[in-house]
Amino acid sequence: MKKLISTLTVLLCLNGISFAAIDWESKGMQMAGEIVANPSAFFYDFQQDLEGTTPLPPGKAFSVQTGLFPTLIPMTYLNLSGKYRLHAEGRIAPGVPQVDLIGGYCDMMAAKMAVKDSDTIDSAKLNGYYMGAILSSSVSPKIRTFWGYKRSVLGAKIEFTPGNELDLLGTKIGNIDTGFKDDFLMAGIETPKGTNKVWSMQLNYGLRTQTFSTKLSWSGRFFELGLNIYPEGVLVFHPVWNFHVSF
Amino acid sequence: MKKIILSLIMTAAVNSYAAVSEDSKIFTPYFDMTLLEAAYVPSEGNIFSGGNINTQVGLLTKITAKDSIFGLYNFNYSGPAFQPQDSKQFTDRSMSHGFNFEYRRSLGEKFRVRPGVSYMTDYVRSGANEAWQNGLYNMNSKGGQLAADYNFDFDRNGFLTAAYMVRKIAFPNYTDLLREFQNADNTAETSGGLQDQSLTQFSLRPNWNGFFAGYTVTQQNYKHQMVVDAHSGIYGATKQKDKSTTFDGGFRQKLWIFDLSPMLSYTIHRSNQNFLRYKSALATGFANMADGSNDITMVAKNYDYNELAFSVPVDLNVTGKWAIGGSINVIRRAYTDRGARDVDNNYTVAKQKNLMSTLTGSIRKRMNDVATMRLFYSLVVASSNNKFEKYMPSNYTGNSIGVAYQLSY
Repeated sequence: MKKLISTLTVLLCLNGISFAAIDWESKGMQMAGEIVANPSAFFYDFQQDLEGTTPLPPGKAFSVQTGLFPTLIPMTYLNLSGKYRLHAEGRIAPGVPQVDLIGGYCDMMAAKMAVKDSDTIDSAKLNGYYMGAILSSSVSPKIRTFWGYKRSVLGAKIEFTPGNELDLLGTKIGNIDTGFKDDFLMAGIETPKGTNKVWSMQLNYGLRTQTFSTKLSWSGRFFELGLNIYPEGVLVFHPVWNFHVSF
Repeated sequence: MKKIILSLIMTAAVNSYAAVSEDSKIFTPYFDMTLLEAAYVPSEGNIFSGGNINTQVGLLTKITAKDSIFGLYNFNYSGPAFQPQDSKQFTDRSMSHGFNFEYRRSLGEKFRVRPGVSYMTDYVRSGANEAWQNGLYNMNSKGGQLAADYNFDFDRNGFLTAAYMVRKIAFPNYTDLLREFQNADNTAETSGGLQDQSLTQFSLRPNWNGFFAGYTVTQQNYKHQMVVDAHSGIYGATKQKDKSTTFDGGFRQKLWIFDLSPMLSYTIHRSNQNFLRYKSALATGFANMADGSNDITMVAKNYDYNELAFSVPVDLNVTGKWAIGGSINVIRRAYTDRGARDVDNNYTVAKQKNLMSTLTGSIRKRMNDVATMRLFYSLVVASSNNKFEKYMPSNYTGNSIGVAYQLSY
């Protein structure tokens, strides 16, 4: 392994001459521009981080989950999600998949705190919810595929105090009331990595906005480590840390 | 170029169906998900990130011992990445949904026929971040195919596949902005549908013991696009027709602790379309390639080229879980009639030649029987004798580092 790392290091050093100087300032401005152009999409990516879109482990009837990073910290999303098993795999008849209901709610505390410190903003809300269902079916002792639907909604509302409206290129903007709403289809596959440990990979696709993401996760008894990828998002990689308990 | 990529994707998709195993079960699911995400640092321009997502979900249903139906959905996203010269911008992205249904009928022990239908919609987005629905090169494709397999060696998986497919391809948003500008008072739709075409493809592919080869002929007939006359420089009455012939071969073998999967292909692309190069919007005068510095130059057979591509990926299995990988990929395109341009957009005597080489080093971890993860670094060197790079880079180097996951069942 050490030799391997050394080899790659040498390869990187040899080719360092072909690296251009990275203009971080212009990259930052580009990203800021993308956030301003579509703030709801930017914040919705964080909501997806806390959404529990994998099936309940076999044998479990329900679970609760809360997102810790990057949702609670640093984005101040207070959030709670739950899953409830309607039907265990094969219980009614052999081959009938497991059916789980999923859902959750989140509310950004920073938006509320910003109102207290501001003389120009009357109120600010940024909250969202999701709900849906997941079918999961074992195709071998080591593989379970899952399919699902979820409806996700994110609301963003800012009201300015009269006389302090936002001035945008000479146009007064009284209130901002925007958000994100879409119906998603999900498909994924999971494979066990040990006792109470599961490795999964899934694709989420929004039918109306054509928003899509992939989620990789390593899930243990209490914690889930994930890497969510939003190829068309401002921040492409979201490392994720969630806490969950299943019963 | 987009059309060539499209046809290659379709060929690959058709061939992939044959790879699905058929066993004694009534339902056999098929799931393959590949995810790649990387950071790119080009010698020209700023750092960017991009990736590729490919998800295939299929179900094989065995109706009787001889009859089965295979349905496949394919989601593909190709993000920003380094591109071969004359193809597309680094920042271009595309997203496609493909649906295929295939009926399989065994004829005796050795023969099988596979008629099928297909529908695909492809969204293309430029660096301007337009909405997916508004992409200039968005495309819809529908059609059918008929494939036949002849199994000549059961023990060593030897079979020969012949396939014929037909596609109707429409580009609903495509328009010729220059023509619209020139005919501003014309209210009739004269500039749309210029990329619409019908595509037919025939392929013959033998496989044996991990070795494979192929012969593929693709014919594209444009419905509305006319050919620019090489003598007058104006659109004539002949419609554009493109033809590509590809020979390819390779193998996938495990030799001691090495996994080898080299591949070689050679493509001959011919088009009856010509190209009129304007140096500026107000250019006047008309010349052929003999006077490459003229303001307006006619390049007959501008799109004809021969392309050689090969890749040699090797994985050295250090342990059962870990492997060190290396790969060389080379694409060399030589235009038969198009001259290379100097920095001032003048054609030179030499014909244009592009070369793109990619050297990759990687670490692969096999997580279990169905999942792998790969960390990789790639160096791309693109060179060309075309020095006019106002719109597309022809000479650049680039570094990329990324991670790829694959889960396949």
